Amino acid sequence: MSHEHDHDHDHNDADTHPAQEDNDLTLTPGEAKFIALREMLIEKGIITAEEVRRRLEFNDSATPHQGARMVARAWVDPEYKIRMLADGKKAAIELGIDVVEAEIMVIENTVNIHNLVVCTLCSCYPRSLLGEPPAWYISKAYRSRAVREPRAVMQEFGLTFPRDVEVRVHDSNADLRYLILPMRPAGTQQLSESELANLVSRDCLVGMALPGTN
Amino acid sequence: MPERLITDIGGLPAEAIPKEEVPQLFWEKHMIAMFNVLRSKGIFNTDEFRRAVEATPLEEYKKSRFYDRRTDGMTDLLVEKGIIDRGELTSRTQEVLRQGLLRHATP
Amino acid sequence: MQPRNHRILAAGEVVRIRDIGKAGHVRTPQYVRNKVGLIDCYVGLFENPEERAYGHIGCEPIPLYRVRLRQNDLWPDYIGSDCDTLVLEIYDHWLETVNSLEEPQ
Repeated sequence: MSHEHDHDHDHNDADTHPAQEDNDLTLTPGEAKFIALREMLIEKGIITAEEVRRRLEFNDSATPHQGARMVARAWVDPEYKIRMLADGKKAAIELGIDVVEAEIMVIENTVNIHNLVVCTLCSCYPRSLLGEPPAWYISKAYRSRAVREPRAVMQEFGLTFPRDVEVRVHDSNADLRYLILPMRPAGTQQLSESELANLVSRDCLVGMALPGTN
Repeated sequence: MPERLITDIGGLPAEAIPKEEVPQLFWEKHMIAMFNVLRSKGIFNTDEFRRAVEATPLEEYKKSRFYDRRTDGMTDLLVEKGIIDRGELTSRTQEVLRQGLLRHATP
Repeated sequence: MQPRNHRILAAGEVVRIRDIGKAGHVRTPQYVRNKVGLIDCYVGLFENPEERAYGHIGCEPIPLYRVRLRQNDLWPDYIGSDCDTLVLEIYDHWLETVNSLEEPQ
């Protein structure tokens, strides 16, 4: 079971817990409840094990690299960038990425505006594009503070911007899911598209990191 | 005016943001997949699920973990819709826990 | 709640996010209630989550907008730049236009 730890901030009762080894040794009440629930639903014919397995595989195929590929393509192909800014979902599908969210809006960082994404009400995130969000994104501390003091929050992650750069926070509170299109770093003209994609980390795609710096 | 929803925490005071990477456990991935399947089949929708989470007592919500909220919200909805019986789930959960302890007690 | 059934608001229009006193499931956070901002863009028509949350699916979809607000207007103690903003999605029936010659809608 998760061991006690004496950090004095509240993350032990939020959405993070110390990294656990996979669960060979202990069965938590949460996992037991899930196992029982799954058994009951399969017995009742509500779901099948195969359906769940297939969805698990689909979910596992989503990774931040899918978003990074879109960014790299936008950097090298101005027409693709225009299409991506008009309709992020279609632009993802164009690259063979199977997205199930209703809509993905791509927001471009510029020299004048840096964008940051949060979901204050829950944990909305383009999961079928990028996979699961990081623990910090779904933490209650981030959800509370990102809208109120974005610059202080970003500073905790090593990001600062001058006062004449607008910090624009997007609260993903309804039907849109967001993908940030970071600016292409200087001095990358020689890089191939796949090398460019490798510069773009998961955190860049929500505005919490800059490419090439990680 | 109605009270603030427990999930409506934008702007409330909070402390440092925990930055450690927390890998998803296998059961958590499996549970999310099951959640997705139930939703795709129209057993419940995302808004119903959010409404179920919003009904959690405040103190419980504050202490809750993300994945447990998913399981609990799903359970509440399935009970509400008469698809499962809460008592049966509880006793089967106890059985799973008991079997788990027995299995791991065996050398 | 009935759709506002008026024209689609244009980007740049000044709006107030009303507190409509709605109990139950809503997606308009407290921190933007009674705040004034402007329409960033019209997103499209979507089913109302306030209905869907209670099993009423397939109702007539309603307009959804992205609304942009100044951080200085949201937080009296905002520490950041005067140019900082926040954008979020607000359904039509939570909005009224301001600074117009018509009655608030």
